[in-house]
Amino acid sequence: MTGTERDKLCPLLFIMQITLIIFSILLALSVAAYFFGCRRAVAIAQGNIRNLHSLPEHYGFYAAIWCGLPALLVLGLWTVFETPIMTHLVVSELPRTFQELEPGRLNLVINDIKNMANGIIVSEETDPNLLAAADRYRSLQSMGQAALAVVVLTLALGCGSVALYLIRAKQRARNRVETIVKGLLFVCSCIAILATIGIVLSVVFESIRFFKLVPVSDFLFGLKWSPQTAIRVDQVGGSGAFGAVPLFVGTLLISLIAMVVSVPVGLMSAIYLSEYASRSFRAVAKPLLEILAGIPTVVYGFFAAIMVAPFIRDTGSRFGFDVASESALAAGLVMGIMIIPFVSSLSDDVINAVPQSLRDGSYALGATQSETIQRVVIPAALPGIVSGILLAVSRAVGETMIVVMAAGLSANLTLNPFETVTTVTVQIVTLLTGDQEFDSAKTLAAFALGLLLFTVTLILNVIALYIVRKYREEYE
Amino acid sequence: MKKEEHIMGKIEPAIPFPNSRFVHQQTLKRGRAIRSDQIAGQEIQETVGEIRLDDPRLSCRDVSVFYGDKQALRGINLDIGRHEVFAMIGPSGCGKSTFLRCFNRMNDTISNCRVTGTIMMDGRDINHNETDPVSLRVRVGMVFQKPNPFPKSIWENVAFGPRIHHLAKTKEGLHEIVVKSLQQAGLWDEVKDRLHQAGLGLSGGQQQRLCIARTIAIHPEVILMDEPCSALDPIATGKIEELINTLRKDYTICIVTHSMQQASRISDRTAYFHLGNLVEVGETKKIFINPLHPLTEDYITGRLG
Repeated sequence: MTGTERDKLCPLLFIMQITLIIFSILLALSVAAYFFGCRRAVAIAQGNIRNLHSLPEHYGFYAAIWCGLPALLVLGLWTVFETPIMTHLVVSELPRTFQELEPGRLNLVINDIKNMANGIIVSEETDPNLLAAADRYRSLQSMGQAALAVVVLTLALGCGSVALYLIRAKQRARNRVETIVKGLLFVCSCIAILATIGIVLSVVFESIRFFKLVPVSDFLFGLKWSPQTAIRVDQVGGSGAFGAVPLFVGTLLISLIAMVVSVPVGLMSAIYLSEYASRSFRAVAKPLLEILAGIPTVVYGFFAAIMVAPFIRDTGSRFGFDVASESALAAGLVMGIMIIPFVSSLSDDVINAVPQSLRDGSYALGATQSETIQRVVIPAALPGIVSGILLAVSRAVGETMIVVMAAGLSANLTLNPFETVTTVTVQIVTLLTGDQEFDSAKTLAAFALGLLLFTVTLILNVIALYIVRKYREEYE
Repeated sequence: MKKEEHIMGKIEPAIPFPNSRFVHQQTLKRGRAIRSDQIAGQEIQETVGEIRLDDPRLSCRDVSVFYGDKQALRGINLDIGRHEVFAMIGPSGCGKSTFLRCFNRMNDTISNCRVTGTIMMDGRDINHNETDPVSLRVRVGMVFQKPNPFPKSIWENVAFGPRIHHLAKTKEGLHEIVVKSLQQAGLWDEVKDRLHQAGLGLSGGQQQRLCIARTIAIHPEVILMDEPCSALDPIATGKIEELINTLRKDYTICIVTHSMQQASRISDRTAYFHLGNLVEVGETKKIFINPLHPLTEDYITGRLG
């Protein structure tokens, strides 16, 4: 197969390859610029680098950055704007009949053109106009690639050699490199922040769409959750009730059971491990506890559904209780076990961080070990312990798999732990799995639930942070 | 070892001390005799000066302390009297703090630490199996090098000990103890308006006096002080020393200090430690004016340590 044949068969792949090749060349050029920069700096210093303002490496980095960064920026911008620009050019050359199509139809046509240009045959009979457009698209594409390669490599070589040429002994290369690195760090932190903002905004906007269909008050205070709605007018279906209260009560019930299990067990194991346990026991027990945190929640889920739930049902019936086979209790218990390592590991760390001098002070006053732990160590470690517990709560609130398997799907407004309940996360899963249309109240409800859940966990985290900040410097 | 040889090199012939059990008479300054009498069937090692007292509060015989395989104290014999301020001086790492921590068995909290020998307090062995370290520590209080108030209010800090030992039946009684202890520690006037603010909000010197108030709130018989002024400025140090002076009539005070001036100002008797050995014990005046052992003299005159 010759090169031209390959071009025709998969130009898309070829374009990607070209971008990759340009990128590699850029990288190589930057590395070269680094070494030339170092050498030139040393040469300028006439062997004594004390004559330089910065270390030779800084001059190298400076040259490499000038060589690589502008070219990379151009490459990046091209990758982002290539398709819209070329589409615009191609569309503007199509006959008026096409241009006057509605946007959805036009998109289909453009897709056809792109597919043809990339060598994928769309249909048997094609409009000659479209064929011409596809040719035009292809030629634009290859021209663009060539132009890109030339521009980028020229830019890299040009900027790189200018930077190399401008290296002077008094040049403040270190300061400039550090400024650029600082900018890079800033950009990275911005990416994280922007991602968060983006996710939140998308959830918020979808929620607003939902609240146009269902009033906020109905959602927040409604006591009935039944998201099945009739899709067609003639269909027999649920009337659709979107009251989130049963879901939140279910979530709170299960989280409460989980915390009742995990807080005492986790806290006490942390106290034992940090205050009483011998070094050898601790060395074995702590990693084992942390393995508990590494078990996938799905595994906990079927453990809950297959082992714990039937056990609770059988035990309950022996004592004359009517226990559903999927109960809040089963899910809560297993979730509690899942959370133990969070509580114990965080508490263990904060208890260990309490200075020995406080314990000594207490012992010197004739306090026993348990008095010391109760009255000095735990109060001093309390802020850390509380924030650990709050993190565990937000973990419990957001947990899904265990509840899906062990607590059921029906939204019951009940506080009885033996009944089946459902949680916010489970409902989000059931609303969005499978084939869904994304403009009905049913699917949009998932976003509203997500927003509410996000708000709740955010508040918990803020409280945790506040507590930690307020009491952090207590014993320093 | 190089340093040791250097020190020894000044006095000919070379002193086998501290590794040998006896110090040769001719190596001692002014040719004074060492006490080497037998007490409780055991031989006093090396130490010069007045070791024995009549009716001692604390009496140590052949006390050695080991951290794992490392011996930190070598067979210490020493009596500490009632109502005396007893100072322990010596270069860093000489074992004086370790020795101090034997008296309230704080060394129990260090896992690889082992104490041998007998320490009698009012005629009872504090290292005996039947002696409860908790009740011992009620009788032997301790103030640490770095002020370590609990992260609680001033009032709670002082009330901590009386509360766990049920020294007061009512809250009023507890408050009375708190007030009295703070007054005794000379802190009352400075904190009476902010008893319920954090103890850690006080200055370093105030914190240390708070720790002393906390200690005397449970009415101990002996107070151990481990370099209580080393983290304080001269003014705060002066206040603590004044406080020690007023406390001496009610308590036995053992104080470890790096400041020889402090030892000479406040103590009745002084012990000089060197590399885990008790070199010399005696009345403070005698030790500072007329030391018997050359090592003591070197340390006091600043040629050592």
